[in-house]
Amino acid sequence: MSALLTLERVSAGYGHQQVIRDLSLALGEGQLAALIGPNGHGKTTLLRTISGLLHPSGGTIALEGRRLDRLRPDQIVEAGIIHVPQGDLLFPEMTVLENLRMGAYLPEAAREEARRLEEVFALFPKLRDRQGQLAGTLSGGERRMVGIGRGLMAGGRLLMLDEPSLGLAPIVIDQIYEAIATLRASGRSVLIVEENAMRIAELADVLHLLDNGSFAWSGSGAELLSRPESLAAYLGA
Amino acid sequence: MNVAIQILSSGLTLGAIYALSTIGLSLVYGSLNMLNMAHGALLALGGYVCFYVMGVLGLPGLLGVPAAMLVCGLAGFVVYQLAARPMLASGGFETRIFIATIGIGAILGNVIQRSFGPQPVAQPLALHGALVLGEVYVPYQNLLILFVSVAMMAVVALLLGRTRVGRAIRATAQNRDAAQLMGIRIGRVYAQVLALSGALAALSGILISSLSGLLPNMGGDPMLKAFVICIVAGLGNVFGAVVAAFLLGLLEALIQYLLGVQYSFAILLLIVIAVLIWRPAGLFGRRQVVRL
Repeated sequence: MSALLTLERVSAGYGHQQVIRDLSLALGEGQLAALIGPNGHGKTTLLRTISGLLHPSGGTIALEGRRLDRLRPDQIVEAGIIHVPQGDLLFPEMTVLENLRMGAYLPEAAREEARRLEEVFALFPKLRDRQGQLAGTLSGGERRMVGIGRGLMAGGRLLMLDEPSLGLAPIVIDQIYEAIATLRASGRSVLIVEENAMRIAELADVLHLLDNGSFAWSGSGAELLSRPESLAAYLGA
Repeated sequence: MNVAIQILSSGLTLGAIYALSTIGLSLVYGSLNMLNMAHGALLALGGYVCFYVMGVLGLPGLLGVPAAMLVCGLAGFVVYQLAARPMLASGGFETRIFIATIGIGAILGNVIQRSFGPQPVAQPLALHGALVLGEVYVPYQNLLILFVSVAMMAVVALLLGRTRVGRAIRATAQNRDAAQLMGIRIGRVYAQVLALSGALAALSGILISSLSGLLPNMGGDPMLKAFVICIVAGLGNVFGAVVAAFLLGLLEALIQYLLGVQYSFAILLLIVIAVLIWRPAGLFGRRQVVRL
């Protein structure tokens, strides 16, 4: 299996505060990889570094061998990394449809806009009825669907989801997980940050436990599910 | 009835001028969180470039206006490249750019005064004559100002609402991080917004000077009013700013008629204070700043 995304000894942080240290990671084509672990240990920082919102202070990041770590965020999107950020970050004064269309802003994605819009509506039928509503007036679950849908509109090679179930009601979490399972079945490469390790373990090919800025454990979902007690200290279970 | 037409005519003219000088300011604040204190100097620069092209070079007004818009658009771009861009990279941007643009405005004002002198000059681009409605004279110049402003606002609205560039500007104003994650190069958006704001300032400066003549510091008063309008509308809310501009223009004309010119600005400021006590985020502002 060839690696799609490769991180080698990546360090990053805010100002003088280093949040992630010497992280290395390889994500294969078509894999679903999950970053798990307690809050404040660098999961979001790692995604923001990959998508270029933060510049790494050391190490290299590459997509199919092409170095990304000195590029601007817009160039990284163009290269094929799509980041659905934590808290959705929708455009509140735009409608649902306008938000989704913003996902297809780049010319290459714009050509596929009509087809991808249908795919998003197939995945989240609720959004079809909400098309004309301002994003700022949506419920939390609808907002999350727009956020993920907007990411899907961009196409890309790798989809990064930051805590897609955060702050949602259990029934909505089920819907979101159903969508993630559909994406995985369609062969999409996904890097997902998730607090709920047991839940994502059922879906993920590989899990990485991020503790204090570096990986404390990596393994398959089956391994995690078969011996959760060894990780209980990290996961607070 | 005649009085009403008179007030309406001067109020709408004032409102149109205010709206035009406010849009640029509001756009820049909306997308960069930048209070551009050089805006007044750009208004004056636009007026003088038009004066130079028409009055000194003797070319027609149809060249003077675009030339002024081009020069001020470039000036806005230069402000981005030399001042805003380097400052965006580090913290405290809002304060630092505020002070930097005061300096840029002072330099521009001095350059204008050196080149054209401190004495007032007439703007050659002016229509003479008036439309007579019963006993009321509505100067053609007022109608021209109203027409040009409304046309320009329509162009800006189309640009923001219907074009790819406009979508990028709105997205950047509403969420900077998300805009970048859509593949928008926000540095380019900032440069475009400052250039557009400069071009709008030029047009506004030409219209203002066609009524009251050119002076190197002519931009100060309109810029102050533009800030007032921005705050009343909610900072960064462009469409709100247009509505607020016309409201305040009409109000000013009414106060001038009822109480006299000397009271208009004081009452305007009183209204602003009242609005801000009543609605701290501005008339059209929600709890957070509403963007574009």
